[in-house]
Amino acid sequence: TLGIPFPNCLHLPQAWLDTQDRRLGHYVSGKWLKPEHRNSVPCQDPITGESLASCLQAQAEDVVAAVEVAGKAFENWSGLPGASRAQHLIRLAKMIQKHQRLLWTLESLVTGRAVREIRDKDVPLAQQLLQYHAVQACTQEEVLAGWEPMGVVGLILSPTFSFLEMMWRICPALAVGCTVVVLVPPASPTPLLLAQLAGELGSFPGILNVISGPASLGPVLASQPRVQKVAFCGAVEEGRALRRTLAGRGAELGLALGTESLLVLTEAADVDSAVEGVVDAAWSDRSAVRPGGLRLLIQESVWDETMRRLQERMARLRAGRGLDGAVDMGARGAAAHDLAQRYVREARSEGAQVFQAGDVPSDSPFFPPTLVSDLLPASPCSQAEVPWPVVAASRFRTAKEALAMANRTPRGGSASVWSERLGQALELGYGLQVGTVWINAHGLRNSEVPTGGCKESGSSWHGGLDGLYEYLRPSGTPGRLAYFSESMNYDTFGLAVPSTLPAGTHLHTSPHSSPTAPYGLFIGGRFQAPGARSSRPIQDSQGKLHSYVAEGGAKDIRGAVEAAHQATPGWVSQSPGARASLLWALASALERRESALASRLERHGVEFKAAKVEVELSVRQLRAWGARAQAQGHVLQVAELKGPVLRLREPLGVLAIVCPDEWPLLAFVSLLAAALAHGNSVVLVPSGACPIPALEVCQDMATLLPAGLVNVVTGDRDHLTRCLALHQDIQALWYFGSAQGSQFVEWASAGNLKPVWVNRGCPRAWDQEAKGAGPELGLRAARTKALWLPMGD
Amino acid sequence: MSARNWGTELDLSWISKIQVNQPAVLRRAEQIQTRRTVKKEWQAAWLLKAVTFIDLTTLSGDDTSSNVQRLCYKAKYPIREDLLKALNMHDKGITTAAVCVYPARVSDAVKALKTAGCTIPVASVATGFPAGQTHLKTRLEEIRLAVEDGATEIDVVINRTLVLTGQWEGSDFIKTSTGKETVNATFPVAIVMLRAIRDFFWKTGNKIGFKPAGGIRSAKDSLAWLSLIKEELGDEWLTPELFRIGASTLLSDIERQIYHHVTGRYAAYHDLAMC
Repeated sequence: TLGIPFPNCLHLPQAWLDTQDRRLGHYVSGKWLKPEHRNSVPCQDPITGESLASCLQAQAEDVVAAVEVAGKAFENWSGLPGASRAQHLIRLAKMIQKHQRLLWTLESLVTGRAVREIRDKDVPLAQQLLQYHAVQACTQEEVLAGWEPMGVVGLILSPTFSFLEMMWRICPALAVGCTVVVLVPPASPTPLLLAQLAGELGSFPGILNVISGPASLGPVLASQPRVQKVAFCGAVEEGRALRRTLAGRGAELGLALGTESLLVLTEAADVDSAVEGVVDAAWSDRSAVRPGGLRLLIQESVWDETMRRLQERMARLRAGRGLDGAVDMGARGAAAHDLAQRYVREARSEGAQVFQAGDVPSDSPFFPPTLVSDLLPASPCSQAEVPWPVVAASRFRTAKEALAMANRTPRGGSASVWSERLGQALELGYGLQVGTVWINAHGLRNSEVPTGGCKESGSSWHGGLDGLYEYLRPSGTPGRLAYFSESMNYDTFGLAVPSTLPAGTHLHTSPHSSPTAPYGLFIGGRFQAPGARSSRPIQDSQGKLHSYVAEGGAKDIRGAVEAAHQATPGWVSQSPGARASLLWALASALERRESALASRLERHGVEFKAAKVEVELSVRQLRAWGARAQAQGHVLQVAELKGPVLRLREPLGVLAIVCPDEWPLLAFVSLLAAALAHGNSVVLVPSGACPIPALEVCQDMATLLPAGLVNVVTGDRDHLTRCLALHQDIQALWYFGSAQGSQFVEWASAGNLKPVWVNRGCPRAWDQEAKGAGPELGLRAARTKALWLPMGD
Repeated sequence: MSARNWGTELDLSWISKIQVNQPAVLRRAEQIQTRRTVKKEWQAAWLLKAVTFIDLTTLSGDDTSSNVQRLCYKAKYPIREDLLKALNMHDKGITTAAVCVYPARVSDAVKALKTAGCTIPVASVATGFPAGQTHLKTRLEEIRLAVEDGATEIDVVINRTLVLTGQWEGSDFIKTSTGKETVNATFPVAIVMLRAIRDFFWKTGNKIGFKPAGGIRSAKDSLAWLSLIKEELGDEWLTPELFRIGASTLLSDIERQIYHHVTGRYAAYHDLAMC
């Protein structure tokens, strides 16, 4: 097969490599950088093993220098009018167009991927991305008023990801005014070429800098003080490690992890087309959403038919050198080959059926299209991520079972549903816990459609408006500084609960004394005694005992999370209108309780007037979020697709919130209202110093809201934070407390990679519109899902 | 022609169970045209192969014995002798698969081919071509007369009134269209038809042939059709018994491409014989 000639493609990338004397450095500040005394790694043709060039490996100081350059460039670039940035991006798109042949031949040569996919799909998409984001830059002042660019963005790419993954992230970052330092794995010349093309535009040389180096430089780049945002594409375990390393380091972390995709084939499907969907997903070298293996769920009634067609189709696949225009699959290098081989060997030993076919060269870097079936659900291979180019098929009986099987994995990247029955397709599409769902298609992408994930696939988005917000923060937010504490001990933070003893006389002497404060943990819709059967004293502003609150612990958190999960399906299925009316009812209840709440606040040192304002603002927040509950998601119309793409805003699930000490009532209500309006159920830890107003509100929630929807647990905040952060079945965590607590939360969230929002120990002005009720809350309170609905007769 | 399709019990559930997702089929059709780009000698080989599938066709109102004769000669010698020699294919007996004419011209064609001393079959469109809207009696008579004149293959226009009302007919070969419609052979339609052929084969063991007709003019198009057959049905369908391309101008473009492959130059029209 290697004898099949490809058009004279080779000389172009070779000639480009020659301009660098076959020795690639880094591209920083608009010029090539080739520092002395660096190790180099050979860049090899993955098929012949021939050495194409040597690539210098960066060291920490090179990273520091690149960040410095990007930081300088940021001052200028971010200050430009959006229209000027737009113009620059358009110029880059044209530059790529002029040199596209070099781009696609180089990429195919060094990655081994089929040149056809790069030429017909990737390069046009790269240009489309630049054009789309140029338009966004142009309208930024208007559409994204109130937001400002974060600063220097560090982008870390893993070896399996193509240059397109870089484009998906640098385009929005540059469009909104950020500058970028990209760390690419050793021997990836294409990103360097792109940086060179951008650099040769002349103006703004420092906005895009590419350095190549080992993965160990990732944390070095990410913890540079000027780096405000880190975007990472790679394997799940790498992402987890990075999350832990970066705890307390300041920069916000956006993760896009794993490569597996899912395909659900029902008996109502056009099976032949679905088989083509499998080919697109696993065996076509398409850099769809993530370039990996496929989990295939087939309805039992069409299992035999599908298997026959699939096997027949596999026999016609061709693998070979990527530059050959007639191959379906190239090779992906030795590492991918070995990974696939290990998986297949393991699957066989676990009793699975393995079918391999296709016209594939027998020598090492090539791996034949592989279909694994009859894996038992409990076997390790069923749990592990399916590697390229393997398809792991299993059968389901009903659509309901398909949904259960599909969602019973820690991964949440992308999936497709194949069914000609509209109702069934939508039911599955809405029910799948993933970032992207295609109905009767697989692997479509468009710059306007947000692509992201959930669960362990990481919660970051690229494309569309959601992609822009990744690199923006509300105007006026101070820069993110490291608040890392060396003395932090993750093993012991919040582990033990300080014991509490009776704390003196329990006086009822306040002039407008309300009845005794409610006592207990508000779990499952009622006040309960804490598992530890002990209490902690709450002092008023004079240091006198105000009352006791229940001392919650790990078991109470467990109960609260369980109760919240039970309430979730009911709340999610409520219409936004119904959610709004419940929030409004709660607002009215708060209004009726105004004097009691104000006096509680007063006892904690809030002036009477300010206390009244706080209650009023809280009421207003509930009403405002109630009103916003109605306006969720929208429909996108994308160029090459007939039919809509729905941008859905879906609830996160069970959201845990540790409320701040400042504004004990307002912050509690604001966070609660935003979470509920978006369909989440919540477990809250109220203000530590002043939890009583929150408990007062619980009395109304007990009568108004479904049981378990809101759970409020008082107690030692560090201890409760520890329990929440380490809980695997909490889908997101917002923490407003100490710097240490923030660091712990970031570290511990690596467990299930739940998205976290921490205040890094800085108080927030909850009474101000931008911070208290701002769109930031709304953005964080739900996740985006793109649902593609191609139409046709 | 392969063994006849003796048909099978009509089972309408086969038809009612068919699911076709149009956008997905359109995507597949788009892909198939880019996934198998063959170059150089591989391209030349595929082009010669394509020649052997052509039903070299003339279906004009002003057809006379002279242009039918010319057509038949071209069918026998589709590619210039010196070009075939350069490719070392001159003694492989490359001809088109058949010539295709109106019933009234069948005898001209049979005579011309006999004179040229070759055994290329003569196909005829019969049965009230291209609308098929004539009485069954005259349609059958038309077929009988064409066969009498020496036609060995008949392209029947089925009564589409019956199709649209769900009353089906059977055949050995299915054709995308008459070539006289506003929309003729397109890839998406072909994909659906080829999948039906494969399903029928899996169910009954009968191989049904396929003939796209109309609008296939360029050598590149013909290669895409070949790769479509290879991909959807497999190599066993890549034989004139099961695959034909109905075309009139395609052949000259293929010849031009072969000319370019052999000489490295692009041919002028007068360099190549007309048909």
